Amino acid sequence: MPDPVLQVEDLSISFTSGGVSADVVRDLSVTLDGGRTLAVVGESGSGKTITGRAIMQLLPQAASARGRIVVAGREMLSADERELRRARGSDVAMVFQDSMSALSPYLDIGAHIAQAVRLHDRSVSRRAARLRAVEMLERVGIPEPADAVRRFPHEFSGGMRQRAVIAMALVNRPALLIADEPTTALDVTVQAQILALLRELQQEFGMAMLLISHDFGVVASAADDVLVLYAGREAEYGSLRDIFEHPAHPYTAGLRGATPRLDARLDSNGERTRLRAIPGAPTSLRDAGAGCAFAPRCALADRVGERCVVEVPLPTLRTASTDGGVHRAACHLDRLPTLEEVAR
Amino acid sequence: MITYIARRMVTAVFMLLAIAFVTIALFFGASKDPARAMCGKPCPAETKEKVSAYMQTDQSVVWQYGQFVKGLVAGRTYGEGRQQVHCDAPCFGYSFPNRSDVTSLITERLPVTLSLAAGAAVLCLVVGIGLGALSAIRRGGLVDRFSTGFAMFGLSVPTFLVGLLVVQVFGFMLNALPYSGFVSFSESPADWAWHLIGPWMVLSFILAAGYIRVTRTQLLNELSAEHLVAMTARGASPRQVNRHAVRGVMVPVVAMFALDVTALLGGSVIAEKVFSLHGLGDLLLSGVNESDLSIVVGVTLFSAFLIIVGNLIADLLMPLLDPRIRRA
Repeated sequence: MPDPVLQVEDLSISFTSGGVSADVVRDLSVTLDGGRTLAVVGESGSGKTITGRAIMQLLPQAASARGRIVVAGREMLSADERELRRARGSDVAMVFQDSMSALSPYLDIGAHIAQAVRLHDRSVSRRAARLRAVEMLERVGIPEPADAVRRFPHEFSGGMRQRAVIAMALVNRPALLIADEPTTALDVTVQAQILALLRELQQEFGMAMLLISHDFGVVASAADDVLVLYAGREAEYGSLRDIFEHPAHPYTAGLRGATPRLDARLDSNGERTRLRAIPGAPTSLRDAGAGCAFAPRCALADRVGERCVVEVPLPTLRTASTDGGVHRAACHLDRLPTLEEVAR
Repeated sequence: MITYIARRMVTAVFMLLAIAFVTIALFFGASKDPARAMCGKPCPAETKEKVSAYMQTDQSVVWQYGQFVKGLVAGRTYGEGRQQVHCDAPCFGYSFPNRSDVTSLITERLPVTLSLAAGAAVLCLVVGIGLGALSAIRRGGLVDRFSTGFAMFGLSVPTFLVGLLVVQVFGFMLNALPYSGFVSFSESPADWAWHLIGPWMVLSFILAAGYIRVTRTQLLNELSAEHLVAMTARGASPRQVNRHAVRGVMVPVVAMFALDVTALLGGSVIAEKVFSLHGLGDLLLSGVNESDLSIVVGVTLFSAFLIIVGNLIADLLMPLLDPRIRRA
């Protein structure tokens, strides 16, 4: 079995501001093989984006990461600036949420892609790099690519821009693509096209993809495995099927219940089941003390009792994996009660 | 592009003609009789009338304006016989107190104003952009706090006060700099610069404030921009990223500079007065004091022309710097 493309071990990220430091990510461990897609889900502030940025070492100055991150055999946390430059855009690339702000308003589309090429291979001439840009734009489905390279970002539609950003990220055939909410800023029909494009290119290039999203619909249509983050910690990890059909963490179950479904069955009264919101708001990182960060919002915490408040649950293997993959959950409950049990 | 420039130039001509009319109308609305200053003392009504007719200031505003426009195209002749004065086209008017046409008065004064403007422009750009960039890079640091105070001071203190302070401190107290006079560049470049250091300091101090603020704000915006993170994610070095950040700063700075420099070229009345420099600002002031219509109109039009040209240059440069303002 080849080494995984991405290996994260005990990653913690803390922000320091005015002498006070707060952990935004705690003890995260995950591996990802080539050709597979891992979705990282969670609500705002759960640490999804910052984890993605830590992998590329694009953290803001106030943040620092501990632990171990290996991308395509390269230790990212101990790498020096030169090594990082070589890795970024070549071994690992990123697709950003907002394609408008991710592209420089002063450069045309072709210049962005050509820059990505030439930053990693000085032997490519400017002309050749622009030709590569045209090829790449064609590959991501932009019509009249020879004309499109000369356009500026503001002249593109949102969907076209995101295609261009994908072209820019993939032009050097990275082993790992970090897609940070790649479809959030797009309307629904375009979302589906972009997701399909990402899937297709992933198959073609055999790359691993870390898909950061808060949208279970996106996750369901694109991911192989899912990592659910809550307050910077792993809440649950497993295959898409495990997570969707047999969630082992009350938070995951809550997220599922809060996701609209087109195939929702009608209940006994002939009405659609109402979406259930998770009560409360995400735990402030500063307030995080002992115990499970989700406990204040958890309907099942009473069943466990005091343990939820005093002891942080660690991710433990669940036996009930439907497809033999790894299924972990960080909950003191061994399994979630069924609806009938809850009703009782 | 050429049609665009041509169209702008045509608009500019009409704008200048309108400005000339307003200036002439205002002058006659507010000023005392120009002939009084020229007729000497005592000034009997009969003589004054003659002088007025000779200077052609006895006619209506509209007639004056018509003569002015005619002078621009075909030249203008005042008086007749031995007293006849001719002003060649394009004639911006004739200054009777100076016994000279306005065009040559302006060209005479231009070197002083040009020297003043050039040095002040360079100095304010260096200080403004330099301090602005430093305070953005080390935000909240010592330089930032100093330059913020410096800029606030520069924006709020009137020019004459700064001018008088510089003359007082460097001229009289420290006896380090000359406080008046002008030496032409061709005569002695060193003396030229030496005499201008004071006025340069004053003008650039006032002007630099704007550049400090704009550079700082714009660079802070750019430095936190996502497209620079994306550039790093592509594998660019911090140097390459910073160089790209400068692009975004250039746009508003160029726009500001185009206007400032043309305003400077139109003459800085106060600085010239404080340092007794005989530039365009000083000329304009003397024109006002002596009720010399031709000078007032001439210098006003010259300044307006420069500002229009400055605007045009800025409008042509900006799309080159920022593709978002390119016309479709």
